[in-house]
Amino acid sequence: MGVAEAAALDDATLVARSRDGDMRAYEQLVRRYQGPMYRLALRIVGSSGDAEDAVQDVFLTAWRRLGQLNDDGAFLGWLYRTTTNQCLNVLRKRKPHADTELDEHESPAPRTRPDRAVEVNAQLDALQAALRGLTPEQRACWVLREVHGRSYDEIAEAIGTTQQSVRGRLARARAQLAEVMAPWR
Amino acid sequence: MAVTSESDYVLPCGRDVEEVWEAIDLSDEHTRSCPHCAAVRESLLVLREATKEMAREEVEPPSDLVSRVMSAVRADVRRSDVVPLPGDGLARVSTRAVAAVLRYAADGVDGVRARGCRVVEAPESTVPDPVIEVELSIVITAGRVTHLAYDEVRRRVLAAASARIGVRLARLDLVVSDVLEG
Repeated sequence: MGVAEAAALDDATLVARSRDGDMRAYEQLVRRYQGPMYRLALRIVGSSGDAEDAVQDVFLTAWRRLGQLNDDGAFLGWLYRTTTNQCLNVLRKRKPHADTELDEHESPAPRTRPDRAVEVNAQLDALQAALRGLTPEQRACWVLREVHGRSYDEIAEAIGTTQQSVRGRLARARAQLAEVMAPWR
Repeated sequence: MAVTSESDYVLPCGRDVEEVWEAIDLSDEHTRSCPHCAAVRESLLVLREATKEMAREEVEPPSDLVSRVMSAVRADVRRSDVVPLPGDGLARVSTRAVAAVLRYAADGVDGVRARGCRVVEAPESTVPDPVIEVELSIVITAGRVTHLAYDEVRRRVLAAASARIGVRLARLDLVVSDVLEG
């Protein structure tokens, strides 16, 4: 099976094949979703090393638990949940002082967006810094909703809470972030 | 939607930040005239733009992430003769190791020798509480074994599974595969 052919297969097919032990099918799934999962992890944990480890664990765990996935088409939602959980666990285990230490050299400002206006870069940096001021759960809610466009229902399940509480956390996150962005208005 | 827990963000005019957010594109009479709402709306607009930038930002994972994941998966497949241990599902024990422990437990009964031992994860097994099913074939020595011996084998094997390995044995099929002359 050529790569191009495999790339066209839908998630449910790849999941079913993976469950039968087809590692090439699983590799397609990993290639397809490593980007969004890595970016999600990076935005929640704030450090590339931790994000990498989290994503690696998520895909290994997902492989082991394919048998427990009831709906093959729901793989992506399941990945979002697992990645969110994994990241929140990483943050829970992290020593309180480690947070600031990581933030110092984890400012990805100039290298990823050389072509953008200085002001846009500064705003994005301010937003990234402001995200670190949220609680991990608020940050996860906000990133899942506003950056990754996930549904309230899905976020509630990922965080292990109700939709109502997700909305509350989002509102608080948004108000806090808006306050930080005020100097740019 | 206004939720009581958002009351920290109520503006002096009585509206809260979330209401301003929800009406951000429908600038009504109040928003146009209220300085508090207008200020918050401006901040929210900046936030919305910065958020779009963040969503557009394609930070790529390290180029070797796929190969690292797949190496871990391949290593996992090689060790796939395993059943989970209690806990987060990441610690596992080889079925051969489990079989060795259970055979040894059965061997402790006078006149009984364990022969084959097939260990599989039970369908009801969950991540924090693993459950196994075992098919154990034994050889008995005629004359040295009473009917009580089977109960004893069962008792010892069950005890070994929980005490020595930490997994619950939900089903034990005991098969006498041979009878030796005593």
